[in-house]
Amino acid sequence: MTNRPRILLVDDEPALQRAVGPLLRSRGYDVEIAGTGREALDLFAARPSELIVLDLGLPDLEGTEVCRRIRAQSAVPIVVLSARGAEADKVNALDLGADDYVTKPFGPEELLARIRVALRRVTSDEAVETGILRAGELIIDYDRRRVVRDGAEIRLTPKEFDLLSLLARNHDRVLTHRAILKEIWGPNAVEQPEHLWTLVAQLRKKIEPDPTHPKYLLSEPWVGYRFATEGT
Amino acid sequence: MSWWRRSEAARVATAAVALAAVTFALMRLDVANTATVSTTYLMVVLLVATTSRLRVAVGTSVAAMLCLNFFFLPPVGTFTIADPQNWVVLFAFLAVSLVASNLSAVARARHDEAEGRRDELARLFDLSRDVLMMTDSEEALSTLARSISRRFDLECVAIAMPHQGEWRLHAAGTPALAIDHREIASAFAAAQATLEFDAYARTYAGHRTITVDGRTVRLVPLRVGTKPIGVLAASGRPVEPGTLDALAGVVAIGLERAQLLEERKASELTRQSEQLKTTLLASLSHDLRTPLTAIRVASSNLSQPELTREERLEQSEVIRSEVERLSRLFQNVLEMARIDAGAITTKSRWTHPSEIVAAARDHVEQTLQRRDVNLSFDPDVPVRIDPRLTAAALAHLLENAAQYTPFGSPIDVAARVADDTLTIRVRDHGPGIAPAELPRLFERFFRGAAAKTHVSGTGMGLWIVRGLLAAEQGRVWAENCLDGGAEFTIAVPVAVHPREAVGATS
Repeated sequence: MTNRPRILLVDDEPALQRAVGPLLRSRGYDVEIAGTGREALDLFAARPSELIVLDLGLPDLEGTEVCRRIRAQSAVPIVVLSARGAEADKVNALDLGADDYVTKPFGPEELLARIRVALRRVTSDEAVETGILRAGELIIDYDRRRVVRDGAEIRLTPKEFDLLSLLARNHDRVLTHRAILKEIWGPNAVEQPEHLWTLVAQLRKKIEPDPTHPKYLLSEPWVGYRFATEGT
Repeated sequence: MSWWRRSEAARVATAAVALAAVTFALMRLDVANTATVSTTYLMVVLLVATTSRLRVAVGTSVAAMLCLNFFFLPPVGTFTIADPQNWVVLFAFLAVSLVASNLSAVARARHDEAEGRRDELARLFDLSRDVLMMTDSEEALSTLARSISRRFDLECVAIAMPHQGEWRLHAAGTPALAIDHREIASAFAAAQATLEFDAYARTYAGHRTITVDGRTVRLVPLRVGTKPIGVLAASGRPVEPGTLDALAGVVAIGLERAQLLEERKASELTRQSEQLKTTLLASLSHDLRTPLTAIRVASSNLSQPELTREERLEQSEVIRSEVERLSRLFQNVLEMARIDAGAITTKSRWTHPSEIVAAARDHVEQTLQRRDVNLSFDPDVPVRIDPRLTAAALAHLLENAAQYTPFGSPIDVAARVADDTLTIRVRDHGPGIAPAELPRLFERFFRGAAAKTHVSGTGMGLWIVRGLLAAEQGRVWAENCLDGGAEFTIAVPVAVHPREAVGATS
């Protein structure tokens, strides 16, 4: 048919299906709709889509469980819709492999932006394999462990480079505090976010043109950090 | 006291008669042996001593000695004694009978004291039982004072407790004690200042005796452990200080217990209302977010030029129905608040059951959509009722029936007027209600396990139905039908129009 990206929308609320479906269609996506977690898994198994928008409050399966099962078979980007005020569900879903989240009530542009970024991440993944990431005026060379901004090299400590490369390799995804701590300091450090705060502050001072208004290392309050490749 | 006097006089008389009878009998029998005579008299003295007080026994001893001397020791008929040996007999007799009288009196005193102790113990036991039965009500202290006065046969008892710098008196008995609060305050201060055991009085320090309106009143500090928490005032029968101490101890424990009960009740209430708030907020935040998101997205979709006419219509339909949903939610919260505040007022007027049902259906038209609703009225006569409240309650039931049953299954509504009651049954043909959930169905925020996963809702509806109906003395209950499906029944007392009532029965 066309090469419009196909999105699987998983939500049990008819009102959201009826509103979000047309929204995505009008912005150039094909949309499949699943009302339950099982239906979503079946649809995805039958014909994998390019992206999944997943509501965490599903009638049959926990949204996080759907997330886990899909991640077990595919790297498809998952954007989570969370209606609950608690951050725990979001963090849980992100740790289980979701790429991003939107909190209800969200506006259409918010959801579309997250979808755009998540889709672009997939198409630009080849860049990671070349060993070099370009984001704005920032160039990160993973193999040589070098970072250059506006032609000038930035000296980073090994830990700083580890953090930057972890976030950059997962650019435009939200990494939870837990996931970052575990990756950089090991599993014993996951309850000590103060390490991370300090390191992020140091790193921002070095790579951000204006550390008080970061454009690369973005905070996701109470959830984690994201490396942004597109100025938001 | 007069009772004592009379009984003592009677005993003196009995002793005299016994002595006279023994003397007479011994003379008639012509007994001259001194040993026999003195032993017989001794027997009389012992009998008197065991039944009477010491002075009666001593009197009897002396009288018996004189009788022995006068009637039996030669020369008979005089108080003189010829044989010096007989002096020995006489004094030996007197000594033995006095010692016996005294021993007997001591034994009696011990016995009386033990009796008294046992009596006080029994009273204390009864009182402590009263204390354990004490509730945490307002009148608990007056009740306690009353039970002290009853258990200890005291005319007046008052428990004085400090309360925000004042003294509060909880009194029982008549006439009520008008104790000067300053006296209580000073007794309390003294009890706070000293805590010594008075070995002589066998009580702790702090007892006071004051006179109020010519009556003797004892003030005893109420102590929990060593800390005084109040003052007990008692007047009437004199009670031993030791007993008063024990009594005050029991009362103090009772007071402490009442206070603990009160605190526990208060904290339980706080906990419940906190939990209610949390549940309400969680439920509201969930139920607000989804419609708000849908409205936001749908309204922005409307500004997309590439939408077709049908798609536009659908988006405005989404907005309309979600706004509807929000206003229903708002309505529910409002109704809940009004029920909580007891602000539901009823306004009865004449109406037909069919009108109530029609109003309720209108109200939930959206949810009912194109469900088959089978109506029956038996009979559709004017009744006096608050149609607004009843219709609102019925609307909730209809909405539930539509939400929790498979799409397309019919709903039966049957209204019946009989015995001054309007009964409306709403019967669905869905899966019914899990038996374990039936008893909790009308609790606030309760949602069945199946309902939770399949249908969005707040768990307020049925609680509101019950609250609305309660305002008009109505009831609501739920049951499962034998052939499947659930049935909710509303019953509201009504007045039936006199003319119609006649028409209906004829």
